[in-house]
Amino acid sequence: MWRGNDMNRPMGINWIGLYTMVRREASRMARIPIQAFVAPWISALLFIFIFGSVVGGRISQIGGHKYLEFVLPGVLMLNIVNAAFLQASTAIYFSRFIKFVEEMLVAPLSYVEMIIGSLSVVVLRSTVTGIGILLMGIGFGATHIESWPMFLFWIVSVSAIFGLLGLIIGLWSKSFEQLNMPVVFFLTPLSMIGGVFNTISMLPAKLQWLAYINPFFYFINGIRGAMIGFDEAPQKLGIGLTLLLLVVLGGTVWRLYSKGYGLRE
Amino acid sequence: MTPALSISHLRKVYRSGTVAVEDISMTIPEGEFFGFLGPNGAGKSTTIHCITGVAEPSAGKIEIFGIDAVKNYREARRLVGLCPQEFNVDPFANPRQIVDWMGGYFGMGAKARKERIDYLIERFDLVPHQKKQFRELSGGLKRRVVLARALINDPKLIILDEPTAGVDVELRRVLWRYLAEINRDGRTILLTSHYLEEVERLCRQVAIVNMGRIVREGTKDEIAGSPGGLENAYLIATGAEPDHVAGQ
Repeated sequence: MWRGNDMNRPMGINWIGLYTMVRREASRMARIPIQAFVAPWISALLFIFIFGSVVGGRISQIGGHKYLEFVLPGVLMLNIVNAAFLQASTAIYFSRFIKFVEEMLVAPLSYVEMIIGSLSVVVLRSTVTGIGILLMGIGFGATHIESWPMFLFWIVSVSAIFGLLGLIIGLWSKSFEQLNMPVVFFLTPLSMIGGVFNTISMLPAKLQWLAYINPFFYFINGIRGAMIGFDEAPQKLGIGLTLLLLVVLGGTVWRLYSKGYGLRE
Repeated sequence: MTPALSISHLRKVYRSGTVAVEDISMTIPEGEFFGFLGPNGAGKSTTIHCITGVAEPSAGKIEIFGIDAVKNYREARRLVGLCPQEFNVDPFANPRQIVDWMGGYFGMGAKARKERIDYLIERFDLVPHQKKQFRELSGGLKRRVVLARALINDPKLIILDEPTAGVDVELRRVLWRYLAEINRDGRTILLTSHYLEEVERLCRQVAIVNMGRIVREGTKDEIAGSPGGLENAYLIATGAEPDHVAGQ
């Protein structure tokens, strides 16, 4: 018998509430499988074709790896970043826009539970996207995994970072135009110049510092190290930066939720 | 006995600077059927939003069964069910999903949820519509879904913000019977409505709010018993002209 509204029962972590958030968003993703999964997989497939068969043969090896092997981890990371950001930002923005975010606000869910629930879905979508691309890469003999723990660390942590960033933008946005601005002006340019297609040494000497101050460089460098064992910067530096970003962004999102920014009137 | 709802000097000022609630204090005993009346923009919905967590009170204190609704919001919210005025629902979801997700947010297990959903879907005649998308439903059916959602956790305090707005006479009567029944079972109900007939029929206590303040409060019999009945009392309390004055 349901006794959840019994005042004498202490409230612990609302596991069912958390699971419901995941179920709900999974059902939304199931309504948009082409946008959520098929599009990034097709895009990755095109990258494999272009960089494997068309361009790859004309470029010499990088660090003992074929060009496609070098590029694929970056392509995978690009898609993870996009999936995480889009999932988090559109889910929160749409729920604010239609106002069904109020369903969560009136329920016995803590702010931390709401954030973890959202991030769980983000990680789920990014991981499915990433694993799909990885399987394609393996299927075409274009990649392998040097370190599974580090591969999972980079997928989960980078998804969480861009999930948190997506939540901030989703809470801030007042229109779909604003929602897309960070993708156009920051995410795509920074990811493109973050070393997806080139090593730092390929950049003009005067511009190499740009890569070092670009967080995307460390994410791509990290997952490339985990996949093919090639890196251009110490992995520990990337891990430290990633954890720092998680703490800063996590704290910011928690603060916004607890203040009701963009959520409560 | 701890009241079901106690509000003390509630004030709500929106970021735009609009003062929606100036100073509202009221107490609703457990088991009461309470009518909360007032013209559009009087502060009824804002008060409800502050009680349920949709809005942040600027000042004042709200307690639900003695639990602070701001400091201990999780404990307080599990006792409340809200049927809002607007359809704040995912338009692509179906009624069963909508009610199911709400039950999940309240921490209800799958079995308890299924039993309760089956009961509510049946009770509100939603069986033939339970797999249709919400956006495909008529206004009356949408209202039923939102009501079922509000009741999924079998709340001790049920807050209904104009629950019968735009519904047909038949559903209104079905709903009235159901609300009277759950009130007899001990549930406390806070109802806002523009249908004074509805309030007269269901409520025992009434508060009339205008410009963010309660301007009249008492038993329904007291207020409706004054000359001209509830409608006249309402018009006088809200500063509008009663018919017999307007016609002069």
